[in-house]
Amino acid sequence: MNTTSPPTPSDLRARLQAKGLRLTTGLSLLIAFVAMCIVFSILSPYFLTIDNFVNIARTMPIVGIVAIGETLVLIGGGVDLSVGSVAALSGVVTGLLSEKAGMPIGVAASVGLLSGALVGLVNGILVTRLHINALITTLATFSIVRGLAFVLTNAQMNQLTDPRFLWLGRGEIVGIPVPFILMILLYVVFHLVLRHTPFGRDLYAIGGNPVASRLAGIPAQKYLLAVFVLCGLMAALGGLVQSSQLAAGTPQLATGLEFTVIAAVVLGGTSLAGGKGTMMGTLIGVFILRTLDNGLILVGLSSYWQQVARGAMLILAVGFDVLRAKLAARKAR
Amino acid sequence: MKHARMMRFVILLGAAVLLLVIAACAAPAAPAPTPEPQVVVQTVVVKETVEVPVEKTVVVKETVEVEKTVVVKETVEAACATKKDKYKIGFANLTEDIVFTQLVGQGIKDEAKKAGVDLVLADNKLDGATALANADNFILQGVDGVIEFQTDEKFGNVMMDKFRQEGIPVIAIDIPMPGATFFGADNYRAGSMAGEAAAKWVNANWDGKLDAVVSLDLPQSGPIPAARLQGQLEGLLNNVKTKPADDMIFHLDSKNTQDEAFRVVSDTLPKIPNARHVVGININEGTALGTIAAFEAAGRKEDIVVVAQGADPSGQDEMVKEGSRHLGSTGYFPEKYGTYLIPAMIDLLNCKSLPPSIYVDHVFISKDNLCKYYPEHASCK
Repeated sequence: MNTTSPPTPSDLRARLQAKGLRLTTGLSLLIAFVAMCIVFSILSPYFLTIDNFVNIARTMPIVGIVAIGETLVLIGGGVDLSVGSVAALSGVVTGLLSEKAGMPIGVAASVGLLSGALVGLVNGILVTRLHINALITTLATFSIVRGLAFVLTNAQMNQLTDPRFLWLGRGEIVGIPVPFILMILLYVVFHLVLRHTPFGRDLYAIGGNPVASRLAGIPAQKYLLAVFVLCGLMAALGGLVQSSQLAAGTPQLATGLEFTVIAAVVLGGTSLAGGKGTMMGTLIGVFILRTLDNGLILVGLSSYWQQVARGAMLILAVGFDVLRAKLAARKAR
Repeated sequence: MKHARMMRFVILLGAAVLLLVIAACAAPAAPAPTPEPQVVVQTVVVKETVEVPVEKTVVVKETVEVEKTVVVKETVEAACATKKDKYKIGFANLTEDIVFTQLVGQGIKDEAKKAGVDLVLADNKLDGATALANADNFILQGVDGVIEFQTDEKFGNVMMDKFRQEGIPVIAIDIPMPGATFFGADNYRAGSMAGEAAAKWVNANWDGKLDAVVSLDLPQSGPIPAARLQGQLEGLLNNVKTKPADDMIFHLDSKNTQDEAFRVVSDTLPKIPNARHVVGININEGTALGTIAAFEAAGRKEDIVVVAQGADPSGQDEMVKEGSRHLGSTGYFPEKYGTYLIPAMIDLLNCKSLPPSIYVDHVFISKDNLCKYYPEHASCK
């Protein structure tokens, strides 16, 4: 007979504290975001305008969409450095197939997406089957895929002119940019997957304790393979959105994107060690970084200081959260 | 286990010995000594008639033969130390990742083939340290001359010192190196041609009204690219009827990429909500296209016109499009660099003198004259 004992008061307290900690982590980020917005609105009269919000909404999705996949991989205990290269590859493949080979744009874009999923599959196989470290694997594919993008195009740009494709990056629905709506929808879907499906729960377990999760019978290799494929797919989708905005598939696209994405994901509370993170945290991290860049340009700060500010913001936000968590843990003892 | 360890040691030792042998065999030969001009002394007999005065009224003429030694200096032309039947030239490209430098590289390869020159290729990857390593590699491979395309001034000095010690002549493309013959763009002039063209368009189509300027810069690249942007800005402002206020001229860091240009221009648009006459000046075609895309995405396509530098294929495609906002670009003709560089290097190696700088003949390329300079473009057929 299964006699599951009811939770004790200390269990409940621990659970509430854990939930509270998660809430408080998100709250810290929100406070940081709001504070930043207040500062920029004081420093620049252009910050708090509809035009500017629409602009932020239009330009953040490439990082936002790619960060979804990166969050999944990091929670699972891995990392993917090839996302920027994959984003470029998808645009390049789509441009070549539609403009040079004359394929219908829907087919070309689908192949572009699949190219990203394929790279993710290769990453996943190398990590889970050959047990090559994810950092090394994706560092290698970062270089290989970027190189392939240059080889396929001979470093040239291919214009993308189909209005249906351009609508993906430039269209609006009731004044809201289409890429932003797409990004929010994806965040809702993956938030539900992480929080309310066995796959999501198991992913946290795999990232938090790979040995225990294997002993518990969780198919860790399969799930990790799946998240790498999803990461590749999200990177390709982000690349298509950006290519649509630029009306071009270019092999130089998204250079350095991987570092911006990882910064946003970590800022949002996802642990580089695995087992911890949320989609909503990542979304806030993306908002913070994009708004920071936007605000710094509006106040007219030199690009060198912008780089300094970005790094400082990352340390402040993460450091504040770490400090707060330590204080809370000490108090709980 | 012991056997495996021994085998590993033997293999490592063998590899080390092999490397030493290769290094020793590849040691460059000592350069041939430069011959001194020779002084030739010749003895020349000169006959002179001298009139000798005498006391008597009878005049007696005597012819006196005088022997003189005259020193005649002849300079015998020193043999050209670098002259050969077949040359090996090293070419280190700035990077292989952008169209402009690819065209430069291809043009040089084609000309080298025509001239029967052996070409040793390297990619500097936009990095000074890599350029220095490539320079060492050229010296190791015994090249006769080097064509160098790199951006780092500090490393440039070190590289030139090495080449000078080896007696290897150098031509530097676009970025000067001390002691090297310079070949490349007349940067300020190239810029001002584009700026003047933009001003002419604004005067003709917007009644000279200019609300704002967005300048897509590349501050980390130093003064050379900056001269192109300065030329564009001054060419525009000095020729347009109505100049914008100083705070309506925006200098943005494009980081040399189309997507970064898109982002920074998008972020600037909220600052100029009422600007209907904006000119974008650009360091290259990629940033020009990013600028246009940002205005298009914001639904403000008619508010912008751009000019750029380079006139590469992506820029050419854009400027011939129906309703394009790309007015044109200053042509650098990178595909023709080889036709200047290879003959110039052969002249240097044949000890012929060259001017210290050789400049490209710039032309402002627009849809009106594209087919004259690029007849192979798809729109010209």
